[in-house]
Amino acid sequence: MRVASLAAAGLTLAGCASVQQPDPRDPWEGFNRGVYSFNDAVDRNFLRPISVGYTYVTPQPVRTCVHNMFNNVADVWAAANSMLQGRGLDAINTMGRFLFNTTLGVGGCIDVATANGQPRIPNDFGTTLGVWGFGQGPYLVLPFWGPSSVRDGVGLTGDFFGNTYTSVGAIENVRVRNSLYGLEIVDRRASLLDATDTVDRIALDPYSFVRDAYLQRRNAMVLGQKGQDNLPDYSDDGDAPDAKSTPPASSTTTPTVPAPGANQSGTVAPAKR
Amino acid sequence: MRFPAISLLQRLALVGLLGLGAAQVVHAAPDANGAPDKFVQQVADETLAALKAGGGVKSGDVARVNQVVTTHILPYVDFEKTTRLSAGRYWRQATPAQQKALAEAFRGTLVRTYAGALTRVDNQTVSKTLPFRGDAKADDLVVRTQISQSNGQNTSVDYRLEKTSSGWKIYDLNVENIWLIQNYRNQFAQQINQNGIDGLINALNQRNQ
Repeated sequence: MRVASLAAAGLTLAGCASVQQPDPRDPWEGFNRGVYSFNDAVDRNFLRPISVGYTYVTPQPVRTCVHNMFNNVADVWAAANSMLQGRGLDAINTMGRFLFNTTLGVGGCIDVATANGQPRIPNDFGTTLGVWGFGQGPYLVLPFWGPSSVRDGVGLTGDFFGNTYTSVGAIENVRVRNSLYGLEIVDRRASLLDATDTVDRIALDPYSFVRDAYLQRRNAMVLGQKGQDNLPDYSDDGDAPDAKSTPPASSTTTPTVPAPGANQSGTVAPAKR
Repeated sequence: MRFPAISLLQRLALVGLLGLGAAQVVHAAPDANGAPDKFVQQVADETLAALKAGGGVKSGDVARVNQVVTTHILPYVDFEKTTRLSAGRYWRQATPAQQKALAEAFRGTLVRTYAGALTRVDNQTVSKTLPFRGDAKADDLVVRTQISQSNGQNTSVDYRLEKTSSGWKIYDLNVENIWLIQNYRNQFAQQINQNGIDGLINALNQRNQ
């Protein structure tokens, strides 16, 4: 399917060159916008109403329990990815969460780990590929799935593979497995209702808003702790020209890339002469 | 839940705040000239207290969150700077009148953005300021906070502040690793390229209706 969508991307790209001033991170914008509209229509007509209905008929504690249980089994694959990324402490903490929540949290129903100061560290194979040095690649909106990129699309196949060993995919009974997949989709969508409603209220162009948010967030996940110490640098344009600091090698498209000369505390060391 | 004593204290403090509110006394307004992390904590506490005073946020009552944000957060936000940085290089192409209109038009969107992180506030919601990292003497820094809801979900909210002559001012916001200004730059540029600066102002004003 990925190959098909890539091929389709190529076709559409050849067919329409109507996007003015394309974002360098989104060379397939014409195609992506098409898929975005399709996904949006599917969401507004099916998935969102189902999820809203789900939040109406199930009491909050039940929804929280369901959400926590899916998150709990997902922690196993997240821990494996932390390990693959060389983030050993994250891996240990996430495994600790899984054991703690599975036992004291009654099969993951209650997130006792978060309540005791160990919040979730979400992780996936796309992030692992990023940590290994693969760039994001062009932004890509996948049918039925949503925002992704070439790298994260490849990551998704890795996640699917991991999922067949660690999560719902490991269940042999086809009926149970498929029902749980369905519930998982509804649960994920329901937990995003606030976020998507907010986007509807604040975005000028929801497509660019979602794209930029996605790319920012993925970038931050790959950088991990380092990303938090590198603040976006807005000073190169817009701000009044000032000589108080020389921004080290800033680039407007990827401002969170560690700048040379920025040390751990986020302060900028004087550039070497 | 972890520290019952603290939650009891908080409840007492809340009762105290309610009493003060009833007496129309403004007490312990956030100190914009103090330590930045304390200042953010005060702003967040005051905002949450105001939201909780009405029994939390009933689902869908976004108007009320917007109103609380307008009275309790907006005074400490340098929305002109946020607008200027979002417009990037186009800011200097705008006339002073356009700049003023643009900042004014963007304000509504900013309020809704700040409100977006607060739509699920209930009586258990707590905003915790994370330990401060980096250079405490800098005049442009980030204070990181975590909003925890009663259903156990945490939202990370970071505030970027600048020291001005009138004390600390918030000018950028990060919700779950997404910076506000960075997320509006492309949308601003796109609108300006298509319809000019006035087109952007119109588009923003339409969203405010």
